[in-house]
Amino acid sequence: MAMASSKKNKAARKIGFYTGLIALLVVSLFPFFIMLMTSFKNSKEAVATEPTFFPKHWTLQHYVDIFNPDIFPFLSYFKNSLTVALTAALLSVLIGIFGAYALSKLNFIGKTTINASFYTVYMLSGILLVVPLFKIISGLGLYDTKTALIITMIVQTLPTSIFMLKSYFDTIPDDLEEAAMIDGLNRVQIIFYIIIPLAISGIISVFVYSFMVAWNDYLFASIFLSDSANFTLPIGLNALFSTPDYIWGRMMAASLITALPVVGMYAISEHFIKGNMTEGGVKG
Amino acid sequence: MKNRGKSDMKLALVLLFPSVFLVLLLVAYPMISNIRISFFDLPINPRLDAAFVGLKNYTDILTDVEFIKSLGITVLYMILAVAGSTALGLAVAIFFNRPFKFRKAARSLIILSYVTPSISLVFAWKYMFNNGYGVINHLGVDVFHLFDKAPLWFDNPVSSFILVVLFAIWRYFPYAFISFLAILQTVDSSLYEAAEIDGASTWEKFRNVTIPAIMPVLITIITLRSIWLFYMFTDVYLLTNKVNIIGIYLYETAFAFNDLGKAASISVILFIILSIVIIASRKRVKFNGNG
Repeated sequence: MAMASSKKNKAARKIGFYTGLIALLVVSLFPFFIMLMTSFKNSKEAVATEPTFFPKHWTLQHYVDIFNPDIFPFLSYFKNSLTVALTAALLSVLIGIFGAYALSKLNFIGKTTINASFYTVYMLSGILLVVPLFKIISGLGLYDTKTALIITMIVQTLPTSIFMLKSYFDTIPDDLEEAAMIDGLNRVQIIFYIIIPLAISGIISVFVYSFMVAWNDYLFASIFLSDSANFTLPIGLNALFSTPDYIWGRMMAASLITALPVVGMYAISEHFIKGNMTEGGVKG
Repeated sequence: MKNRGKSDMKLALVLLFPSVFLVLLLVAYPMISNIRISFFDLPINPRLDAAFVGLKNYTDILTDVEFIKSLGITVLYMILAVAGSTALGLAVAIFFNRPFKFRKAARSLIILSYVTPSISLVFAWKYMFNNGYGVINHLGVDVFHLFDKAPLWFDNPVSSFILVVLFAIWRYFPYAFISFLAILQTVDSSLYEAAEIDGASTWEKFRNVTIPAIMPVLITIITLRSIWLFYMFTDVYLLTNKVNIIGIYLYETAFAFNDLGKAASISVILFIILSIVIIASRKRVKFNGNG
């Protein structure tokens, strides 16, 4: 009797748990569902006063349209975003590896000061620097160039890159390096042959993090860029949104394709890497 | 290995040079430059001359009702969104802290709102909350009768404020969730068993076992999220023009009203506030939860 009721209890609890889980997922994913379904609706259905969850007439037209440069400059924005994010992420990782190695493995005067100042920079938000950065970038003749955005994105991600990489490097035992030195490797060789391969999962996490920050940036793109040929996705899509003739289905299709690279990268890094970026105090 | 200070110094200089150079050029120098600019009346057009105005930008700002109002809105936004996203993140983490089918998949799906670019999410929300054909007003008014009249989400300051807070909670709770879940999984389950033997209630177990265990993570999350939300710009700016948080106030002073001097003085004031928070939090905040 008692056992039967405890079994019943267990089943009830299980049902309760999964109901809660489903409710949570529904709320969490609802905007994505709407985005996806709207991207398959025709323009008239998307603005019907009686909104439908699923399209009555499915269409792939919006996906065809956003890749047609005569209709929608999506590909140009996408290419610009890719250039900026890839370059910034690669350089942030490379510079970060050198800096993190010095802070993790080397002994030198001023280490604490550098650590403390990077900590301050880490907390410092980009918005506080918009005025002088705008002046500096204009002064350097970099206004309305992707280079301006790339450099800014490197600096914005660098402190986090260094701290994340440092925490990975800290776990690599000194004995390994000593052994390598006895084998005749110098410090630079050690970085490339020992440290980088051992910390590769951390390095990938930092790359993904930096890529995401650069890919998402709206603030600096909006103050540095003025020619739409240079626009990245966030600023380009938002500019299109402000025009009266945007089409919801097209915007939703563009939004989904915009999300794809970062979500895909994140999913891959999540799959292969234990203890990745979201498990720490990563800026975002 | 630790005793070769001299040879390390040279290499450290070389390795740190690019990072230090970039940070000096594009963070430290601009910050100092903010202070200088804040004493000038500086138009955005480089051909127009800057005029030294002393402390005028500061007295203007500190007596400007809009600035004080903006600070108030920002603090309220920050408190509500930090409290909401942290509490929800913790609740979901406790909910997830047990073995069940599809746990990994569910975890990945929950994180989606956190990893997706703001611009994509903002479009979805603008569409969902549209006054005329948005699904939220359709559900709220016609289906569930939650409101008598459809709220004009983007046109009214109060409903816009609710909207940006909800957006922030939804977008940032996964960050708290993942951090809490990671620390909860390290809590020794025998602590809960011991508490149970002592006859502790669920609430007592939460207060006496869970809270102390997650305390370091809790402090870190609250501090960092508070700072990031205090300086929020993009999410709110893209969603609505009715919620004038401090990031937007600063941005518009510079690039809509072309008053770089005044914008720089706002930056300096905000930097002072930030410095106080940094000094206060320095000892207690960890950057990387893998330690």
